[in-house]
Amino acid sequence: MRTAEKISGLMEKKEKIRLGGGPERIAKQHEAGKMTARERLDMLFDKDSFIEIDCFVETRSIEFDMQKKKAAGDGVVTGYGTIDGRLVYVSAQDFTVIGGSLGEMHARKITKVMDMAMKMGAPFISINDSGGARIEEGIDSLSGFGDIFFRNTLASGVIPQISVIMGPCAGGAVYSPAITDFVFMVENTSQMFITGPQVIKAVTGEDVTFEKLGGADTHNSVSGVAHFKCASETECIEEIRRLLSFLPDNNLSDTPSYRTGDDVNRICETLNEIVPDDASKSYDMKELIETVVDNGDFLEIQKYYAGNIIVGFGRMGGNTVGIVANQPKCLAGVLDVNSSDKGARFVRFCDAFNIPIITFTDVPGYLPGVGQEHSGVIRHGAKMLYAFSEATVPKINVIVRKAYGGAYIAMNSRHLGADMVFAWPTAEIAVMGADGAANIIFKKEISASENPVETRNQKIEEYRNKFSNPYVAAARGYVDDVIEPAETRIRLISALDMLASKRENRPSKKHGNIPL
Amino acid sequence: MKKYLIKVGGVEYEVEVQEIKEEAQVLRTEQFGPALTAAPAVPVAPAAPAAPKSASAAAPKPAAAKNSNNVPAGAVKITAPMPGTVLKVNVNAGDTVKKGQILLILEAMKMENEIVAPSDGKIADVNVSSGSSVNSGDVLLSMV
Repeated sequence: MRTAEKISGLMEKKEKIRLGGGPERIAKQHEAGKMTARERLDMLFDKDSFIEIDCFVETRSIEFDMQKKKAAGDGVVTGYGTIDGRLVYVSAQDFTVIGGSLGEMHARKITKVMDMAMKMGAPFISINDSGGARIEEGIDSLSGFGDIFFRNTLASGVIPQISVIMGPCAGGAVYSPAITDFVFMVENTSQMFITGPQVIKAVTGEDVTFEKLGGADTHNSVSGVAHFKCASETECIEEIRRLLSFLPDNNLSDTPSYRTGDDVNRICETLNEIVPDDASKSYDMKELIETVVDNGDFLEIQKYYAGNIIVGFGRMGGNTVGIVANQPKCLAGVLDVNSSDKGARFVRFCDAFNIPIITFTDVPGYLPGVGQEHSGVIRHGAKMLYAFSEATVPKINVIVRKAYGGAYIAMNSRHLGADMVFAWPTAEIAVMGADGAANIIFKKEISASENPVETRNQKIEEYRNKFSNPYVAAARGYVDDVIEPAETRIRLISALDMLASKRENRPSKKHGNIPL
Repeated sequence: MKKYLIKVGGVEYEVEVQEIKEEAQVLRTEQFGPALTAAPAVPVAPAAPAAPKSASAAAPKPAAAKNSNNVPAGAVKITAPMPGTVLKVNVNAGDTVKKGQILLILEAMKMENEIVAPSDGKIADVNVSSGSSVNSGDVLLSMV
């Protein structure tokens, strides 16, 4: 064979591999409203930057006529490229090739790029669109799943890991996304579940559709498994690129810094009017956050889950910050089982990747109720305390209004190691609300009074004036300064600058035992 | 075939029970609910093989009555997110509402919490009035 023939032979082979499962299956994929693995990668990476590796890998299995179903690439496209000029590794399952099913070599391709991502310290994105384990390859496909989970765990806290669900992701396959940092889902075309509707019907008799059981809506608003819900694959890819713009490459590198053009000395006059005069009225905490961060650019995470706490990324003076805030508009902003899980997980992500944390506190307490107690609000609520205490990144707290009892402590208080605590003059920092406290402290006076109702109101007012303010805490140094709301942005950026060189160590240990 | 001696209201009945494999699942889903309603029927129809049939016929009725809870079929239930007191109800049954519209105010955690419409629709039924105390999960109103 002449050299020229060998070269043209290679071209032919590569062209065939590029077509994946063939034109028919590709057409089917498009009909379902989905792109092919390669189309997704072209859109995700900077133009012409994606480099595929292992395209000639195929299955070794000969059981059940697998050699006839052999397809180059083995149902997954892997490689690397750049996003906004930064190196990122990727695996994208190809549903047009053997249903994107995961066999031994398919998994080996994925673990190879994961190992590379770890060595080079670059983010890893995994696009899931697969029928699940390849049954023909038996226990070898299970081994493949295990190898992936193991690497996901080792990479956790070392490089950012993002899972993107763009088709079915069922059975064991769901646990790789579950271990990673962020899960994206696309409405109507992606589903995640351990067991499907048919098995559920047979075992428990419940009737449920795929979408209701494990669609984007369900996992974003009910289960909290997913972090982002996107209307289309195009929108989803844009969101992934946006998220990456806030994240560092790895746990030792800095977050990317941008010239946002927003003045670091900007006064936010509107914040002077955001807190209503009546403490029982709510306001939108998101408005406050968007006023403070650079250009109002705030990327909210888990927007549809546990709305009583808001978490997400923004920039202050061009650098990434993680924001955790109570939302008085939802469930009065209480801490409960779900919001504690959501908040604590986000705090730990920020700490792992050296992202400073800013909290905006307006919390009436932990949610009372038999349901909450029996769901383990003690155990889940403890995660907030643990996560803030454990974090050694710069921690700044702004107490906007209510900060009561245990919830005050949990929300990034001085006592858990906050580096800077600001309070607005509207802050009420106390062991509990004035009503409850007056009832307990002045119980005898109230019951002995000739007019208990009047005495009670009088005592509540007395307590409120004396304790429901920021100055008692400031007098003890638990609050570093009481600030005018309008100067919040200036003070935060100044504090972040001051804290940039922060070094704080924790006792050396294998790892702590967070109450899971 | 198994024989059982069952005593209902002091009267003894001899009942023969046969296991039918195919129907096993049907019987399981009905659980114990229909047994009470089926019992009075026994003296009328002492024939043993008839028992499972009458049981399955009687089953759906009590179940349906229990689940309805003043919510029309197909309606979206809007439940209390936390325990509290209803301060104000802004809508009546039959009203058309827009997504995000404030349906009622629930006072809880010393805060006035706005309960808003999850989507455009029509109020099918209002289950609470101003002053009602509710627990989390209680149905406040339903929408179609």
